[in-house]
Amino acid sequence: MSDHEPVVGIDLGTTNSVVATVRDGVPRVIPNRAGQLLTPSIVAVAKNGKRLVGALAKRQAITNAEGTVYAAKRLIGRRWGSKEIEDARRVLPYALVPGPEGIDVRVQLGGRTLSIPEVSAMVLAELKADAEAWFGRPVRKAVVTVPAYFNDGQRQSTKDAGLIAGLEVMRIINEPTSAALAYGFGKAIEKKVVVFDLGGGTFDISILDIGRSVYDVVAVGGDTYLGGEDFDRRVMDWLTFTFAKENGGIDLRQDKMALQRLKDSSEKAKCELSGAQAASIHLPFLVGGADGKGALHLDKQLAREKLEELTKDLVDRCIAVTERTLKDAGVRPNQVGEVILVGGMTRMPRVQRAVRDFFGKEPCKGVHPDEVVALGAAIQAHALGAPQGKGEEVLLLDVTPQNLGLMVVGGYFATVIPKNTTVPTSQTHLFTTVQDDQTQVRIAVLQGESERAIDNELLGEFILDGIRPARRGEVSIEVTFDISADGIVGVSARDADTGLEQSITVTATSGLTEEELRRILDEQRDDLLERKQGEREFGERRERALAVVREIEELVPAVQGALERTRFGKDAIQKAESVLARVRAAVAAQDSAALGVEEESLDRTLQLFKGLAATGRPPGR
Amino acid sequence: MSQGCRRRGWGVSAERYSGFVFDPGELAEDVELDVARRREILFVDANLSTFTHWQLLDLPWNAPAEAARAAYLEKVKIFHPDRYSGKRLGSYRSRLERVFRKLTEARDTLGDEARRAEYARRTAAPEEFARIEARKLEDERRSEERRARLGRTNPLVAKAGRVRELVKRGKQAFEDGSFAQAATDLQMALSLDPRNAEITSLLADARRKAAALRAADHYDHGVSAEVLGRPQKALACFKAALEADPGNLRAGAAAVRVALELGDVAEARARAETVVRANPSAAVAHEALAIVLEAEGQKKEARRELERAVDLDPRLDSAKERLKKLRWSFLG
Repeated sequence: MSDHEPVVGIDLGTTNSVVATVRDGVPRVIPNRAGQLLTPSIVAVAKNGKRLVGALAKRQAITNAEGTVYAAKRLIGRRWGSKEIEDARRVLPYALVPGPEGIDVRVQLGGRTLSIPEVSAMVLAELKADAEAWFGRPVRKAVVTVPAYFNDGQRQSTKDAGLIAGLEVMRIINEPTSAALAYGFGKAIEKKVVVFDLGGGTFDISILDIGRSVYDVVAVGGDTYLGGEDFDRRVMDWLTFTFAKENGGIDLRQDKMALQRLKDSSEKAKCELSGAQAASIHLPFLVGGADGKGALHLDKQLAREKLEELTKDLVDRCIAVTERTLKDAGVRPNQVGEVILVGGMTRMPRVQRAVRDFFGKEPCKGVHPDEVVALGAAIQAHALGAPQGKGEEVLLLDVTPQNLGLMVVGGYFATVIPKNTTVPTSQTHLFTTVQDDQTQVRIAVLQGESERAIDNELLGEFILDGIRPARRGEVSIEVTFDISADGIVGVSARDADTGLEQSITVTATSGLTEEELRRILDEQRDDLLERKQGEREFGERRERALAVVREIEELVPAVQGALERTRFGKDAIQKAESVLARVRAAVAAQDSAALGVEEESLDRTLQLFKGLAATGRPPGR
Repeated sequence: MSQGCRRRGWGVSAERYSGFVFDPGELAEDVELDVARRREILFVDANLSTFTHWQLLDLPWNAPAEAARAAYLEKVKIFHPDRYSGKRLGSYRSRLERVFRKLTEARDTLGDEARRAEYARRTAAPEEFARIEARKLEDERRSEERRARLGRTNPLVAKAGRVRELVKRGKQAFEDGSFAQAATDLQMALSLDPRNAEITSLLADARRKAAALRAADHYDHGVSAEVLGRPQKALACFKAALEADPGNLRAGAAAVRVALELGDVAEARARAETVVRANPSAAVAHEALAIVLEAEGQKKEARRELERAVDLDPRLDSAKERLKKLRWSFLG
C-alpha cells in the first residue's frame, strides 16, 4: 500500500485548513511542521518582505493588519462589484482591487497584486510541504473540499489554486459530503444522514442516503455568507457600540490595529462561551484618548445569554435553510437517522439546541468538527487514488447545488439542469439561428435560483462562432451542458445537421484566464526555485550553527571556572548565552537571514571558548 | 431481492448476453478493464434505449421502490466512472457515463411512488395493464362498499352519503339532458347541505338549462299552433316560453309578430320591451321593438331602434330595408 504514490485530502477552510491521508487503512490528520493539526488559512508579507503562511502569519496579524490576508475563501471565484465583495471590502483590513479585466478580485500584498487563487495556493502549498515533510516524499495528488453551495466559478478557482500550488486536484468534493464520509467510515450504515456544517464563513446543509458504502447525496442547501465570522462580528459590533457609548463616541473601527485586536478577542470570547457562562474581554491600551489623554482600555463581561441574544437571527437563519432543504428533498425531520455537526460554530450550545429541537433528536458528537472534513477528503482521495480493489471502497454520488440555466428572451432564466441533480450529468439543448446568415450565437450561462436572469450568478458568456450561413431557422446547434463530478460546468456545441463541432469562446468568467494561469505557474516555478534555494541555504546554515552551538555547550563546563576568575568573565558568559538564544530563536522561526547575522558572533564565541579551554586563559593574552 | 439480483447478475454472462453480438473491435480496445466488465458495459450501453428502468436494474417489472433503490446502489458500483479512476478507459468512459446517467434516471423515477406507478402503467405489457385496471376497479368497488357500510351505522356519514348520492344522480341527469330532474335532485341535496358552493352553482346551472328547455318546448308548441291557424293559442305559447326564459329571442320575436297580427299593439309593445331588456345587445330584439313602434306610429323612435339594430348587426338586411323605407317615408 505504501508503494503507491501518497494522496491527501485537504480541507481548505475560511479560517483554518487541515491536511489528512489514509495510512494503513486508517484516515488520519497530518500535523504541520510546527506539530499542529490546524493551519490558519492566513497569508502575510511581513515588514521585512518575508512571506508567511499559517500560524506565523496569524501571529503578526495584529501589528501588520494591512499586510495580512485572511478569509480568502470568502472572495474566491467572486466577481468584482458583487454584493459579497462589496460587503467584504467594508470589513476587511487589506486592500481589494479589481483584476485587469475588471471582472475578478485581487488583493494587494507586499507591493504585489495577487489573484485570490494565488493566495489560496500559498496555503495549499504550505499544507503540501507539511505533508511532504511527513511522508518524506513528494505529494502531487489531492482531493480538496469546498462548501456544497459553491458555484462553478468558486470551484474552478479552487481548482486553479491547487494547480498553482503544484497539486493535481483529483476531485473537488463538498465539505458536508466529506464529513459524512468520515462519519460513516468503517461502519455499515443504512440510513438518511443530515450534515449540518456551520464553519467560519459558510453554512452548508446536506442530506445523504447512505447504504452499501454508497454515499448518495439527496439534496444540499446553504448560505455562503453565514458563518462563525458573522457571530464574531455581532460581538465586535456590540463591543464597539458600548465602547463608543462609554467613551464619548470614540469609533474603534477607525483604528485598524484596535479593530484586529477586537476581532481576535471577540472570537476568543465566543469560543469560551461554548464552555462557560460568561467571558471577560480585557483589552488594555486599546486606543488613544480623545484629547491626547492617556490610552483607553476595554474591559467587558459577555454573558452566554447576551451572545445568544446578539446572534439569535443567525441561528434562526440556519434552521430556516435547513427546513427548506429538507422540504426540497421531500424528507421529514423524523425520517433522518443521524445528524452530524461539522464546523467550529456547532460547538455553540445554542446551535446544538436549535438542531436538536428541529430534528427531535440528539445530534451526533462522535466526530471531531475541525478534522472530519479533511478526513473525509482523504478517504475520497484514497478511493480515487488507490487501484481498483474488491469493491469495498466508498462511492460518492454528489449533486449540483444550484440550478444551471440560460438567459432567455425578456431577461428570464431557463433552467437546463435543476439543482440536486446527481453529478456527473449532462443535458442537451437545441439552438436555432433567428436571422438570415447569422454566424454567431451568444449564450449566457447562469447559476442560481431566481426566475430573473440578472439575480443569478453569471458563469460565462459562450459565443458560438463560424456558423454556416443559411436562412434563419435552418441551422440548429446542439449545445451540451455538462456538470462534472467536481461540480464544474462544461459547454460544448455541434451543428445538429452536419455533426461538426462548433467552436466556443468563453468570455467573462470570474476565474483566471488560461494565459494568466500559465504566467502564474511560470512565476511560481521561479519562486519555488528561489524558495528551494533559500531552504537549502537555511538548512546548511542551521546545520552549521547547531554544530557550533553543540561544541560551545560542550566546552561550557571546561571554561566556566576559568572565565569566572577573569575580569570580563561574567560579561562574556552573558554575551555567549544571548548569542545562543538568538541563534535558537532564528532556527525556530526559520529565519535564514537572522541566522546569517549571528554566524560571526557564534564563531567568535567558539574561538574564545576553545582558546580558554586549551590554555585556561583567553586566547592571545 | 438481492439474491435475485445476484442470480441474474453480470457473472452469469452466457445466459445474460445470449443473442447479443459483441463487436470484436470494441471488445479489443486497449483499455484497463477486464473482459467480463467490458462485455457488461458494452451490453448494457447497447441496450440503453430498449431496456425499461427495471430491466436496467435487473429487476422484474413493477418491482417496489425499495428494491429499485437497493439495485441502484449495486449497479452504480459497476458503472460509476469513479470506480475506474486513474485507469485508461478510452471509449468506455463515455459509455459508463451514459449508463450511469440512465441508472440515475431510473432511480429518480422508480424511487418516487407516484412516478413509479405512472411509469408502470406506461411500460406494462397488455395483460399486466388489464390487471392494473381491474385492480383499480376492484379498489373503487371496495371503497364504495365501505362507505355504504359506514352510512348504515353513522347518521352523519349517512347524510353525507345521501348528499353525495343526490349530487351524483343530479350530475348524471344533467349529463343526460334531463335538467328538470337534475334541478330537483340538486335542490334536495342543497337542502341537506345548504352551504355547499358546488351544489349551489350546479343547481343554478341546472335551473337555467331546464328553463331554456321548457322555453324551447313552449316555442315549438306556439309554432305549430300558428301553423294550425290558432294565433291566440300561439301567442299564449310564445308568452309562456318568454316567461320561462326571457332571453329566448325567437319566442320574443314570434310573440311580437303574432300580437301585431292580432292587432294587440299594447301586448306587442310589452313583449318587445321584455325581449330588449333581456337581450339589450341583440339586433333582432331592437328590430322587433321598432316594428311595434312603427305600428304605433312613433316613426322617430322606430327609426332610432332600427338604427341601433343595424349598428349591432350590420348584416341584418330586414332591418336595413325597413330603415330605408322609414327614411323614405320621412322624405315623402
